[in-house]
Amino acid sequence: MLTILLLIPFLGALLICVLPGVDSSDNSASVGRSRTFTLVTLAVQCLLSFGLLIPFSAVEPGQQLVEILPWLPQMGLEFSLGVDGLSLPLVLMNGVLCLVAAAASRSVENRPRVYFALLLVISGAVNGAFLAQNLLLFFLFYELELIPLWLLIAIWGGANRAYASTKFLIVTAVSGVLILAAFLGIALVTGSVDFGIRPILTTQMGLTSQLVLMTCLLIGFGIKIPLFPFHTWLPDAHTEASTPVSVLLAGVLLKLGTYGLLRFCLGLFPEAWSVAAPWLAGWAAVSVLYGSLAAIAQTDMKRMVAYSSVGHMGYVLLAAAAATPLALIGALFQMVSHGLISAVLFLAVGVVYERTGTRDLNVLRGLLNPQRGLPLTGTLMIIGVMASAGIPGMAGFISEFLVFKGSFEMFPVATLLSMVGSGLTAVYFLLLVNRAFFGRLAVAPGANQNPKILNQVPFAQQIPALSMSLLILLLGVVPNLLVGLSQPATAQLSELATLVQPGGL
Amino acid sequence: MTTTARPQATEPTLPDQEELIRRLLSDTPLLADTPDHLLQVVNVLESYGLVLDAYSCNLVHQGKTQLLNPFPVFRFFHEGFTPKRLWEHLMGDRINFEYAEYCQKAMFWHGTGGMDAYFDSEPFQDVCRRVIALRSKRDPLLRLVNTLYPGFAPEAIRSMTTIYALGLFWRVMSDIFIDLARRYRIGEVACVLDVVHHIRDGLVTAAGNPITYEVMVGGESVWVLPPEAGLTFLVDVAVPYVEAVFFRGMPFLGTVSYNAQARQIAADQSLFKYGALYADPLPSMGAGIPPSLCMSDMYRNLPEELSRWYDHHGRAQSDAHVQICISFQKSMFCVTNAAIAGTMPNPLDAQDPEQQAANYAYAFAWSERLMGCQRGALL
Repeated sequence: MLTILLLIPFLGALLICVLPGVDSSDNSASVGRSRTFTLVTLAVQCLLSFGLLIPFSAVEPGQQLVEILPWLPQMGLEFSLGVDGLSLPLVLMNGVLCLVAAAASRSVENRPRVYFALLLVISGAVNGAFLAQNLLLFFLFYELELIPLWLLIAIWGGANRAYASTKFLIVTAVSGVLILAAFLGIALVTGSVDFGIRPILTTQMGLTSQLVLMTCLLIGFGIKIPLFPFHTWLPDAHTEASTPVSVLLAGVLLKLGTYGLLRFCLGLFPEAWSVAAPWLAGWAAVSVLYGSLAAIAQTDMKRMVAYSSVGHMGYVLLAAAAATPLALIGALFQMVSHGLISAVLFLAVGVVYERTGTRDLNVLRGLLNPQRGLPLTGTLMIIGVMASAGIPGMAGFISEFLVFKGSFEMFPVATLLSMVGSGLTAVYFLLLVNRAFFGRLAVAPGANQNPKILNQVPFAQQIPALSMSLLILLLGVVPNLLVGLSQPATAQLSELATLVQPGGL
Repeated sequence: MTTTARPQATEPTLPDQEELIRRLLSDTPLLADTPDHLLQVVNVLESYGLVLDAYSCNLVHQGKTQLLNPFPVFRFFHEGFTPKRLWEHLMGDRINFEYAEYCQKAMFWHGTGGMDAYFDSEPFQDVCRRVIALRSKRDPLLRLVNTLYPGFAPEAIRSMTTIYALGLFWRVMSDIFIDLARRYRIGEVACVLDVVHHIRDGLVTAAGNPITYEVMVGGESVWVLPPEAGLTFLVDVAVPYVEAVFFRGMPFLGTVSYNAQARQIAADQSLFKYGALYADPLPSMGAGIPPSLCMSDMYRNLPEELSRWYDHHGRAQSDAHVQICISFQKSMFCVTNAAIAGTMPNPLDAQDPEQQAANYAYAFAWSERLMGCQRGALL
């Protein structure tokens, strides 16, 4: 069943490229057909992802529905897939957000078949990375999603796309190299080519070796998450990427980094993790504060949302460092809620940019105007902002509460500093909402005359963001939908890290 | 070989004060005289005329039946009370008479003109005492309230008198606007200047109409505004209305909020600038015009021609209320233009330098006030 989850998008990508019926001399018809085909493919994938909930046992902490196919046993590479409470929510989120990204891809004028094929490849590759039970297999899928994402930014991006995509490729390729080096290092130190995800292997290493290898992984995944100071590629990539790509980037691809942090850094090196935990908590606090303060300084809506990701991903590192059962549940919840919230925010920013031609907060005013502005878009943006700022009743509140509650007993100072960052979220997002959506409608500073008439946004175009908003509210009101699914797995992960001691930061 | 540069289309610029004076003194409309403006102004005034007809009937009805009524909950049912009408009222399927009350309150609060001066006169105090005495015979509540708060009932009578006078004023204006549309349809009104002339002539014709208010209290007829008070249509009601509603307005309507403690509101009421001509129609009804009410009423009575025009402008029907508000503000500039022309001290073609100087001073004074208005509406 898990293999089918991968086959569907990859076969879909192949078919969309080769099937003659999808192509058309009429570009808009070609876009429509490619998009419809992609939507159907991703809808099937999404349904199958949710179908995993039927055989999946929520009380079982280990890997389930395991499928193993020998591939290159001499190299230790086997096609081994499995799902547990840590990966299942992320697989579900990947299914939902890829569908959202495809639905939001309405204006692909240039090579639509390639565009949608790349979307499908990303979807399959991310699923593969989340489900992989072999280190090399994980690495293959981790690298596989880089190329389509690079192309999506380089071909369908904004004016400065060449710079942003090249920077993205170089920096994240370094991330891949570090991760591969760490995986190979495990084999080198242990003398085993068993690349299965087994913590027992690393217990045979000395602490120094563990620390060195874990540091490689930490930096590798820290680039991907991204954490300060490895974040510089993210704002540029977001600024130049189209809206659907930003949704995928923030919602799914960054989660590969946080997933890797939990699965491989904490999961494979619990002893080294316990040594580094106070430093990691400090790093998390710095990342949270830096991301928040940098967001305050932005005047581009998209860069502001991008920097908010830097801050909010810091919460995951904080929770992972604390590694209490509650904190780890919070980390997973934060991954999912951030994916949904950032999707809403990027979709709303995308609509604003599409209608006004700018994202400049010095220019935009009063977009919440009920009759001539973008009231529904503004409402969705405010919902996203409220959720991101941790307003009770929304997913963001649950995740932040769990992270802070779970981390405070271990690292009170770092937790308090991160809570300041949470307060700063309200500051920069209120600045955004106040500048762009309140006041008199205008798309030019000091505009006195009536601005150009902004075209209305069709309701159908708002459905993806509306759906994400409903999910944010649903998880905010019924968090057990997610917590119940993941608690055994995160509890098991927490048991590995019992060596982490309170104190330090 | 020489080339001739193509003439560049220039953006229209806001008329400055000199230009405003020139237009006022040369019988040129303040509003740019364009076919689009003509279509908007005539049609929006027609819909406004239909609405004013309803407002007028209701206000006159209130004046006749609701004087000193402590709980006037059925005051909007001048056509009779039925469960069906109550349902329509509660569901909003009705004319929003509340807007008429906003205008009345603005007029009453600012209190300019002869009617307000008469309210402070001894004869009016006598009328109030008589009305209260007659009413108190059968109304113990009024007797009690009047004993405890002697200023309450006279103030209520003043307010109801303003309501009645506004009803009389709008009766005239409604007829002027409906007649304007009739003349437009038969080709007698063909430009914005014709619109201004039509309204000016209507105002001047009705200028001397007496404003009186007679009401039955306790079975007796009482002249609250007697003919001998000498109040007339133009000077004592129309001009104070324009002053209160078009210019001064109130800073607490619409969605723009003002902070009095931060001195955002002038301490001197005569310096208020929250009227319809200052209102920003764009941000969902700025100061002075609550279009959620008035624009809704006009929308229900919008002529087909204007509705079709809106279909091709703005966001078509989905922002029709804003478009109506923009057209309405243009039409209010025409009404102001007509009122200024109708009250000009001397004929515009006067040759006497003193008369010319008086006209200039009058036009200058108006231009001072018009400079702060939404002059963008004139383009």
